[in-house]
Amino acid sequence: MLGRVAVCVAALAGLLTAASDSAPDWQRIAWPFTRDAWPEGRAWRSDVIEVYVRPKIGFCNCTTGVADDEEVDRVSDVDLIDERFTPLQPGREIRIADLAGRSRLYQLKMPNGSLRAAEAIALSRKCDLVVALLSGDATDQTRHGAHEFLASDAVMTWVHDVLQGR
Amino acid sequence: MKRQIMLIAGLQFMMACGLAGATNAQQQPEASNMRLVGMNDLQARSAYQPTIHHQGDRWIAYIGHHGGTDEIPSPVNPMTGKAEPNGTSIVDVTDPVHPKYLRHIPGQEGKYEGGGAQMVRVCDGKSLPKADSAAVYMLRTFGSEAHEIWNVADPANPVLITRLGGLKDTHKSWWECDTGIAFLVSGAADWRTRRMTQVYDLGDPAHPVKIRDFGLPGQEPGATGAVPTDLHGPISTGVKGNRVYFGYGTNKGGILQIVDREKLLKGLAAPTPDNLRYPEIARLAMSSWNGAHTTFPMLQMPIAEFAKDKEGGKRDIVMLVDEAILNECAEPRQMVWFADVSIESRPMMISSWTVPEASGSFCQRGGRFGAHSSNESMDPVFYEKMAFIAFFNAGVRALDIRDPYHPREVGYFIPAVTAATDKRCVVVDGKDRCKTAIQTNNVETDARGYIYIVDRANTGLHILELTASARAVAGLP
Repeated sequence: MLGRVAVCVAALAGLLTAASDSAPDWQRIAWPFTRDAWPEGRAWRSDVIEVYVRPKIGFCNCTTGVADDEEVDRVSDVDLIDERFTPLQPGREIRIADLAGRSRLYQLKMPNGSLRAAEAIALSRKCDLVVALLSGDATDQTRHGAHEFLASDAVMTWVHDVLQGR
Repeated sequence: MKRQIMLIAGLQFMMACGLAGATNAQQQPEASNMRLVGMNDLQARSAYQPTIHHQGDRWIAYIGHHGGTDEIPSPVNPMTGKAEPNGTSIVDVTDPVHPKYLRHIPGQEGKYEGGGAQMVRVCDGKSLPKADSAAVYMLRTFGSEAHEIWNVADPANPVLITRLGGLKDTHKSWWECDTGIAFLVSGAADWRTRRMTQVYDLGDPAHPVKIRDFGLPGQEPGATGAVPTDLHGPISTGVKGNRVYFGYGTNKGGILQIVDREKLLKGLAAPTPDNLRYPEIARLAMSSWNGAHTTFPMLQMPIAEFAKDKEGGKRDIVMLVDEAILNECAEPRQMVWFADVSIESRPMMISSWTVPEASGSFCQRGGRFGAHSSNESMDPVFYEKMAFIAFFNAGVRALDIRDPYHPREVGYFIPAVTAATDKRCVVVDGKDRCKTAIQTNNVETDARGYIYIVDRANTGLHILELTASARAVAGLP
């Protein structure tokens, strides 16, 4: 009996964890990139797009924030997929939850040679940076949905925990 | 009265226990084989680069500053009675026991790295090819937006000569005093990086001549793809050595780039990938976890251990110093590396050195712990014998580098905090937790053998000398 209760509690806890970690339609996946200078981020996948997010503590200009498109080129993680990424258009200012920065669309060459569009987002808070990469279906509707997911508690609670040293 | 005494006693107890405001302040200096000779508070301004210049029969220290703090963006200059944005301090250190503050030249308004005038180099007019021989020229940055040249022949009354503006960033430049060639760390507006190199002929400081822009391919205007890491600073060996050693990166993805100086100066100036690659001899890529703040060349060093070897008895060495940027060890250790570049096409890292953390519980002291910079003077008194490393809350460390394959510490000095020392904070559970700690940021030496250290946390300038066995390493009496 005690064993069944324990199994049920564990299962419920697992469901609660999954529910709190992933909004509907989004599934947490492993960080897919090799180790570099920054700690691993977190990654999620929906049916049509993947989202990679990671804070970079102390990497932003404390006074100017993310100032221009060149800064998005420089600080975002778009090179993790394709080092020769090509911008498709000028970037734009963006706000995700309480973080402000810039977003830019790129064309990437995937390992199999196919071309794919991706959106890189660089956000700042004081001297810290948060970057996100959206890779997959690049339609406005899909990306808008991904922006809403980025602003959700599933992502922002973790982001703020990292930024606030928890 | 009794209640007041109890209150004061309670406050003192809280301060002793580190419970009131910033905590864990180090009240006494710590030293080994180094001794404090004199100090100046530099008007409680956050300090970056000191340059010590023998000027006639005087010794003058020119010290660059970061911007102000949140609490005091523009400290009051007691000599003028006015609040002045941090800029350049000029201090007469002829008598190192009693350094005399001569002048503060205000810098760009702004806080921390967003203002001030961090970098400074000094050349005599008589050594420059086309300058006023009576003048002494100080090259400095003006915050992130400009380079300036001042005539400091009368160091108490500097006169602005030249301004090169329109930049998005600046940093640690290099100026050859015999040729006038300057490698200015700049942020040209159209480049994809905040810091690259603008090469100028400043042989006549009143009439600068631009030679070219330079950087790593991928940083130039119009490039696509990944942007190589920012430049931190170059050091040139001049016409004779014909090499410029560029350090890229701060605490991540460091690169030592070895460049043929003549090809750099005479190669095609258009910033195409081919033209940028043309003068490069070799690169040494560091780990993603370490940067290259200072790249200090020490060429043709005789290595005692190799003295009987038929080849390779003298080695070309570059000392690389990373910069720690995060407080309380929130990053991989930033330290000192030695590269053997004798075979230039195959530079090889041969040794490293760091302060043992446990020797002072430095990760708990507050502020940054790790390397920032080394002395850059090539005066024979210490050159190729000793190196002095600014190590933030571990003060300055004196290394015996005569065998760069096995560097060893022979002394250190960590100043005491003062009332001016600024706090350093980390965010814990969403709240700032602050500690007050020494943050030795830069170090320089003079031909007399004095060592000058300056503090990022506003503690000022400390002038030191070696004692006991450390003096023997440099051959000092």
